Amino acid sequence: MATKLPAIASLSAADVLVANEPAWLQTWRQAGLAAFNTLEMPYWRRTDLTAFGFADMQLSADSGTFRIGADAPPGVVVMPMHLAVHEHVTLMQANLGAAVAVNVSKYAALNAATWRDGWFVYVPKNLETTLPLHLIQGFGAGNTLMSRNLVVLERGARLTLVEQLMGNGGPYSNVVTELILGDGATLKYTGMQTWGSAVHHVGHVVAKVGNDATIEWSAINTGALHAHIEAETNLIGNGSRVDWMAATVASDGQRLLTAPWLRHVGRSTEAHMDFKTVVKGSGYATFDGMIKIEGGSTDTITRLEEHALHLSPQARSDSIPGLKIDTNNVQKAGHASTSGEVDDEQLFYMQARGISKSEAVHMIVMGFFEPVLDRIPLESLREQVTAAIAARI
Amino acid sequence: MSSELVIKNLHANIGDKEILKGVNLTVKPGTIHAIMGPNGSGKSTLSNTIMGHPSYTVTAGEVWYKGQNILELEVDQRAKLGMFLAFQYPVSIPGVTVANFMRAAVNGHRAVEGKDTRETQIPMPQFRKEIREKMAALGVDEAFARRYLNDGFSGGEKKRIEILQMSMLKPSMAIMDETDSGLDIDALKVVSQGVNVLVQANSEMGVLVITHYQRLLNYIKPHVVSVMMEGRIVREGGPELALELEERGYDFIREEVFGNGN
Repeated sequence: MATKLPAIASLSAADVLVANEPAWLQTWRQAGLAAFNTLEMPYWRRTDLTAFGFADMQLSADSGTFRIGADAPPGVVVMPMHLAVHEHVTLMQANLGAAVAVNVSKYAALNAATWRDGWFVYVPKNLETTLPLHLIQGFGAGNTLMSRNLVVLERGARLTLVEQLMGNGGPYSNVVTELILGDGATLKYTGMQTWGSAVHHVGHVVAKVGNDATIEWSAINTGALHAHIEAETNLIGNGSRVDWMAATVASDGQRLLTAPWLRHVGRSTEAHMDFKTVVKGSGYATFDGMIKIEGGSTDTITRLEEHALHLSPQARSDSIPGLKIDTNNVQKAGHASTSGEVDDEQLFYMQARGISKSEAVHMIVMGFFEPVLDRIPLESLREQVTAAIAARI
Repeated sequence: MSSELVIKNLHANIGDKEILKGVNLTVKPGTIHAIMGPNGSGKSTLSNTIMGHPSYTVTAGEVWYKGQNILELEVDQRAKLGMFLAFQYPVSIPGVTVANFMRAAVNGHRAVEGKDTRETQIPMPQFRKEIREKMAALGVDEAFARRYLNDGFSGGEKKRIEILQMSMLKPSMAIMDETDSGLDIDALKVVSQGVNVLVQANSEMGVLVITHYQRLLNYIKPHVVSVMMEGRIVREGGPELALELEERGYDFIREEVFGNGN
């Protein structure tokens, strides 16, 4: 049955209605639609906007595939968003849009208006789990994925979560993930963009971190043809912390951009960022980051490292780090950045030990990523990702 | 096949600057051969050029080992021929553990062209046993096996790891480039002991010891001492030459070779 799918360029109020949805959510979606229709196209300094043009984009009948890769830890609520909006109304109303507001950008507004499904994860107060939760999303060819994910950790809760995007659907994917950490909560979050090579992906991943709460964030960004990921950590609470690492591999015509924003809001907040990029072939990766230390944020510690390795002469990486300080009481703010080819001295040293040049390059690159890969909590997944990266370099 | 190392009229540049200006030298099998010389004489350039460092360009000459002009070989092929360079400044490889690096090096040596490396690589239990024994002998804590290679190691620790690698790879021709620099006397003894054990185990092993000071030669006793100056070997003698240099410095040789006016 071929029904005509709504074109994104001309969405109507009726297009964003989902049958049987509660009234509050319908209102929320209409706000998203209004924002989408009024907001300007974003100013993306390095992402090719034409790869994300609305002219060819349609809403899908298919909402995507969502599965759990490992058993859910006991006591943790894990359910599809389309069910959660009925079953967890209070939590939804309190948290949906709390980290990614409907009007934060045109693409976020589009997601708010049109998302169909996603994961809802809820960890009750003081529940500590060590079993990793592995959530996987995919979508079929010819579809547009509009996915919305909400992760809420109550006070003192502890969770290890892997959120993985995989498969070769699309081409368009628009994924929003909100991570809400209550006071004293700890989230070990691994976000993996491992889409197939045809996907055009826009992502918003935003964390709000409460008092004395900690997020250990590991981002793997190796898939897609075009990816534009706006990732944000808001250290709202006093004593909140982020330990943020990322590994990006761009090769063979890929254009991958990560725009990490770090906001220090609370007092005595601490952040360590370590972003690593490897580009090869005609791959192009951009780090477009910003650290902002707000007026009330005193005794702040913040450290940014970003390093890029170039494995071929035509590969390209751009780094645009920014730091804005609106307080005069920063304890430490540091930045280090390198970019270049594999070090000749390292290669010579390894070859002098009988290791072939190709093996040496391979080991240097895998060593470069080791601190990030080491944090992937599931061994089988870690091996799979390591092998996938190894095959690319 | 001769396992002499024969260096013939070797010239090498860094950029446009000629550093080696015709080095002639033979290291006989079973011989510990010291090269002494003042700073800037080209000693480290010689060791790096023999091993194939990409910053040095050979403009003339040959280096023969085991029937091949090794200047025509890739760096890793030189290593597989039995050559080993103990670095003056060992390089750190973040993210690669000592154990994984060592295993790759051992397997690199065992690899046979055209053969599946899974057939030739060292079995894990054997590797673990060997590295554990060698670490114990060199007084290296076992925890180092899991640390990233040379990353944050002290000078002494790096030199011990160099010798650990050497004892795992069992070269037939070792070049020790200023191995004594940055070592206290205890570390110097341990490192020298490690070299001597290898030499005793292989009567055909050649060692080229490059050093500025005589001190190291108290522990690794040379059979032959050559003096290098201004990119050439200018003197050759027995162990007594090292003692004479220690006592009189390099100036007397400089005067003999280059005359008073130099």
